[in-house]
Amino acid sequence: MAMDLDEPLDAEKGEAALRRLRDADPALYLSPSADLAAAAREASKHLYASLVPFSPAQPPPLSNLLAGPAFDAEQIWSQIELLSRPLIPHLRRQLRRLEQQPPSQPPPRTESKSADAEEKSEEEEDGEGDEELEELDDVDDEEESEEEEKEELGLEGEAGNEVEDEFFKIKDLDKFMVKGEEAEYGGGAKQGKKKKKTENWMEEDSDSEDEEYLDEDEEDDDEHLDLEDFDDEEEEEEGAVGDIMYKDFFQEADDQKVRKKGGSKKVQFKDEPDKPEVDDKNDDGNDEQGLSTHEKARLKMHAKIEEMEKANLEPSTWTMQGEVNASSRPKNSALEVDLDFEHNVRPAPVITEEVTASLEEMIKKRIIEGHFDDVEKPSPLQFKSPKEQKDLDESKSKKGLAELYEDDYAQKAGLAPAPLSISDELKNEAKTLFKRICLKLDALSHFHFAPKPVIEDMSIQANVPALAMEEIAPVAVSDAAMLAPEEIFEGKGDVKEEAELTQAERKRRRANKKRRYAGSHKERPAKMQKD
Amino acid sequence: MLRRNTRLRREYLYRKSLEGKERQHYEKKRRLREALDEGKPIPTELRNEELALRREIDLEDKDSAVPRSLIDDEYAGAALREPKILLTTSRNPSAPLTQFVKELKVVFPNSQRMNRGGQVISEIVESCRSHDITDLVLVHEHRGQPDGLIVCHLPFGPTAYFGLLNVVTRHDIKDRKAMGKMSEAYPHLILDNFTTKTGERTANIVKHLFPVPKPDSKRIITFANRDDYISFRHHVYEKHGGPKSLDLKEVGPRFELRLYQIKRGTVDQAEAQNEFVLRPYMNTAKKQKSLGA
Repeated sequence: MAMDLDEPLDAEKGEAALRRLRDADPALYLSPSADLAAAAREASKHLYASLVPFSPAQPPPLSNLLAGPAFDAEQIWSQIELLSRPLIPHLRRQLRRLEQQPPSQPPPRTESKSADAEEKSEEEEDGEGDEELEELDDVDDEEESEEEEKEELGLEGEAGNEVEDEFFKIKDLDKFMVKGEEAEYGGGAKQGKKKKKTENWMEEDSDSEDEEYLDEDEEDDDEHLDLEDFDDEEEEEEGAVGDIMYKDFFQEADDQKVRKKGGSKKVQFKDEPDKPEVDDKNDDGNDEQGLSTHEKARLKMHAKIEEMEKANLEPSTWTMQGEVNASSRPKNSALEVDLDFEHNVRPAPVITEEVTASLEEMIKKRIIEGHFDDVEKPSPLQFKSPKEQKDLDESKSKKGLAELYEDDYAQKAGLAPAPLSISDELKNEAKTLFKRICLKLDALSHFHFAPKPVIEDMSIQANVPALAMEEIAPVAVSDAAMLAPEEIFEGKGDVKEEAELTQAERKRRRANKKRRYAGSHKERPAKMQKD
Repeated sequence: MLRRNTRLRREYLYRKSLEGKERQHYEKKRRLREALDEGKPIPTELRNEELALRREIDLEDKDSAVPRSLIDDEYAGAALREPKILLTTSRNPSAPLTQFVKELKVVFPNSQRMNRGGQVISEIVESCRSHDITDLVLVHEHRGQPDGLIVCHLPFGPTAYFGLLNVVTRHDIKDRKAMGKMSEAYPHLILDNFTTKTGERTANIVKHLFPVPKPDSKRIITFANRDDYISFRHHVYEKHGGPKSLDLKEVGPRFELRLYQIKRGTVDQAEAQNEFVLRPYMNTAKKQKSLGA
């Protein structure tokens, strides 16, 4: 009971402190004041208590804010940080959602605006304070409406039962007692403030700290304002507990009261599903946002892997296999496929009109130039001279071997010319014939041709006197006596007698005789021819 | 006959041994001639025999200026007499092949066609030699499409083996009036783009199937080499006015020849040396050109 009673009192004190801070003139904040500092501490306590049930860590490290006069501003702030740091991301997410759903909840917008406004310069802070005050007014209005609802419920109870008249009176008594307690506690707060004033006056350096503290208080106020709705719900729950205690005293009325309370519980149940929905939404959002990229990548990878595995496991088409026999190939499949394979051999030329035209052009050019590659007729003239035909002389040789050797030696020594060969004879004959032809041609072509004079050979007649004259010598003398010695001697060259000759000379004389005999024999046919 | 063959064989070996010496002698004369033409000093090693070489150079004529290789000796005296060609087919020729051979008979002057029957190639070659036939031409087919031509020069070879492609005969063309009649005059020859040694050899083999034409002959037979495919074309031309007005009229069969082997012996000598063999299975076969540019 004491606990239950204390908590509402603390809450009321906190609210009162917040009202003081709100109603105070902005000019008062320029100078340190113990009253405002005490009010700020109370307000921060109140807000801290309202935030505790929402901390993610249960139980929280500090169930209550220790904001007594013994604690500095930094110490108080560090305690608040312990609680608020884990809460901030949670609150931000809720704010984002509320932004996404503007028509359903307009108040959160104003809160977000105020948060943005905080970022502005210090001069604008006053404006921010005004906005905050307005928000507080709105919250108070809501509370008033709730209180009205509670009163209506109470009235309905009274009208229903005659016994409740007594109960109604008891409630009024309880209210009066609470008010009295609040008045007493309010006096305690004032005393605390006085002590703080003394400390503040002594500590001149704490001005900046106070300013920071004020800013922090403002932030705390914002957060607490966000959660005041939850405080209302908690109050409702506490009321239910108190009612139960009253049930113990009045059993008959408890049944009817329980029904009404059940209705209130139903209302709570309606509120409850909203929370899990919010949580679910948050979770869904978290899953989609955080996991979606990762899951998408994973899904893509899985899809690729499955496709590759299928491609590897499925049997490939016959065109992708290595060597394929006709039996393993489907029927008529090669007809529809263009197979590529290399030919080492250059393919045969396809004879087109261009090819034919180029060939004909080349042929025409060759014909015009007369440049043909015909077989050439060999030259009719023989390039080899005809072989000499040597006539074989079958007659017996008229010369002996000794004479032959003699002639050869004479030729080699140059004493006698070489014997005439058949070719030489032919040449001489040709020369004579050529001379005759030239002579005839000259006779035909010259007007003043003079034939060559015939020169008769001079013949010397022996034994003929030069003059037939009268001779001095007597007639009786013979001719023999009148001749000179030369005329008488018919020189045959036989000066020596045979007895005087040597063997060689004798043989030579005989050979000469034989030759003369042969010569005379040769001369005879010549003479006959001459005749 | 055996004795004659023995004598010919010994003569061949003797002349082949002389070929080296003749080649050296020719080189000396060539170097001397070059030195004289360019006005450079005579090489030192040739000064001793300069006079003799000069004398020989002065006495040279067309035939003896350049020594001829023994390989081409088969055609040394080919121009002295006109070619005499025997045309025959593979065994059991089909009607299209017979028609093609008939057309070839008109294409090659001084040629006669013989039915193959059951004769063996060695017998055919022997009878050709005895009858002084200079060239034996065998035509082969595949399902009525001519695909092979073998030209064997007698009495000692060489033998050239050709594949036939894209054969279009006169019998294939139905319009006979437009086609006209085929001339039988001795034709002029045009051999285009036979620049390599094998190309020159092939041109020589093909050239000596035809006799010496008259200068004013109006018939043209063309062998044009394009990427080692020899295009055979048969034309008749007319000149009306100036040199530019020239009417070419294509007559007779046209086909492409693909040379795949040249043997130095006759067609019946399986052991003869190969002078050229087409090797299409090598990776460089695509860019090799064995007959011309």
